[in-house]
Amino acid sequence: MAGSTLDSDTAKDRLRSEFGRAKHTLSYVLKDNAAKVGFVTLVAFVFLGLFGPYIAPYHPIEDTLRQGGSMMRLQEPGGKALFGTTSFGKDILSQFLAGARPTLIVGLFGGVGTGVLGFLVGLTSGYFGGRVDELLMRLTDLTFALPFLPMALVILSFVTPSVWLITAVLVVFLWKMPARVIRSEVMTVKERTFVKSARARGAGHMRTMFLHVAPNVLGIGFLYTAYAVGWSIVAGASLAFLGFGDPTTTSWGRMLQQVFRSGAIRVAWWWVLPPAIGIGAVTTSVFLVGRAFEEIVNPDLQTEQE
Amino acid sequence: MSFRRFLLKRTAIAAVLTLIAVSVIFVTLRLLPSDPFSGLVASGSLTAEQVARVRAMYGLDEPIYVQYLKYIQNLFTFQFGISLTQQRPVGEIIVPAMMNTMVLLLPALVVTAIVSSIAGMYAGWNRGSWFEQSSIVATTVFRAVPIFVTGIFLLIIFSYGLGWLPAFGMRSPLANPDGYVETYLSVDFLKHYILPFTATVLFYSGDFLMLARNSVVERKGSEFLMLHRAKGLSDMEQLGRAGRNSLLPLVTYFALRTGMLFQGVITLEVVFAWPGIGRALVQAILNQDYPTVQAAVFIMALAVIVMNLTADVAYAKLDPTVEAGDV
Repeated sequence: MAGSTLDSDTAKDRLRSEFGRAKHTLSYVLKDNAAKVGFVTLVAFVFLGLFGPYIAPYHPIEDTLRQGGSMMRLQEPGGKALFGTTSFGKDILSQFLAGARPTLIVGLFGGVGTGVLGFLVGLTSGYFGGRVDELLMRLTDLTFALPFLPMALVILSFVTPSVWLITAVLVVFLWKMPARVIRSEVMTVKERTFVKSARARGAGHMRTMFLHVAPNVLGIGFLYTAYAVGWSIVAGASLAFLGFGDPTTTSWGRMLQQVFRSGAIRVAWWWVLPPAIGIGAVTTSVFLVGRAFEEIVNPDLQTEQE
Repeated sequence: MSFRRFLLKRTAIAAVLTLIAVSVIFVTLRLLPSDPFSGLVASGSLTAEQVARVRAMYGLDEPIYVQYLKYIQNLFTFQFGISLTQQRPVGEIIVPAMMNTMVLLLPALVVTAIVSSIAGMYAGWNRGSWFEQSSIVATTVFRAVPIFVTGIFLLIIFSYGLGWLPAFGMRSPLANPDGYVETYLSVDFLKHYILPFTATVLFYSGDFLMLARNSVVERKGSEFLMLHRAKGLSDMEQLGRAGRNSLLPLVTYFALRTGMLFQGVITLEVVFAWPGIGRALVQAILNQDYPTVQAAVFIMALAVIVMNLTADVAYAKLDPTVEAGDV
């Protein structure tokens, strides 16, 4: 057990036990009714994100709906356009279906990127302590001090925003949240006997860090990744609503921006509701599932139930 | 480490952070491909000499390090320069906008901190109850949904749908009040105030509720409460004791939230056309009015740093178990 390599049996065994644990956790989370609703919503959302553009009856931007030669402006739901049309004669159902994808991309990649980066920084910082810790924590202080949305707006005002660029900006500003929490968890875990005994048996820093410490903070890591998905969706939608989204795609945030800017928000409830409900339902679901998960992961909440 | 040393160290860190943050802002703004005046030459509205004069007026012709030093000096003396698009001092734009934001957010924050903390403590005490479950789900919804979406819902229901409340701005177009008192103390203002205030209260309620609920849950099994029960205190009296012990995270969180005040609800200000600092920033960015952008971002950063420092100090002062050892 002195070597730094893992034989394949041990690896498989670990993976299997981790997988079993994940399955067990999921079934436990889904006992919570709110989390169940959230989970179903998220599955539907991912489906829309993957296949939405293909099931949309029209192209969200290029197709202009016409009736008897004139453009169908601000048509109420019904007939040709099931959810009505925008003031530019575009089909709202198609925009809604296609708009799920950019929202999903920003949320998923922004969230996972934030989770992974924050996890690694927190793990390194908490494990090594000392100077490394001081440096990394002052760096997180700095990203806390720089106001996120204003800075993002400034940056996006002089580069052409694209979905991927926005995702990158989100990760740069959001990683600090998981990093701080993971760091404080790691600091308690690394003092425990099994970590010390691993070191005493000659395990290197990398091995100790990733095989002995990391699995014990993985739960919190997943929790904050889930929350980061929610934050990213909110931030992406906010940027799009302020007019700093990717101008080439239709996203839910951008739909809201257009209905707001055009002034049609006064009358065209059919244009407002689909994207507003879409964003609200998805972010709520993320947090409902996350909260049910937190009840399991956060050891402080495990007091006796009466 | 004594409290004095702790305070000194924290303050020094905050000062250095402020300096780094404003430097980052400076660099970011200087990265912009062009200054707003080059556009004027291209459009033919100004000659090259005129532009050179204007650039000299704004100090843009000096070497970059001189610009940087002047920028730092001006920021810390709160001299924000002249707005490029409105031809008046940036301070005249920013200060009233800050006031408007504070008038909206501070009362909302205080109200939600008190109401949802009490509700959260009650929820945590009655863990598993109907009240706990439904209050958590309700506030999670409002916490999760972006604040501008909540705002839009309120807008289309109460302004456009029912026509009860105005949708736009802080006062009706005809009102022309003079001074802060007249501006903020009128029925007209109140009508404009209700919707954005409600959206803010709903948005912030979730965090305070969960924090209060979690810290009461954490304390529920503890021995000092068993002692109180053994003494024969009623349920509510016990909750009072547990609640007092849960105040610390709430106080710190309140300080942190106050620091985020100016940057927290930019989108909400846009939805309700509330003339606050967030909306001023968005407009300044769209108009390429960099002195105003600089000032707004600086104020937002400074607020966070100062309130973080306050939270740290308050924590160290209030928590008797913290001997300020690990900072």
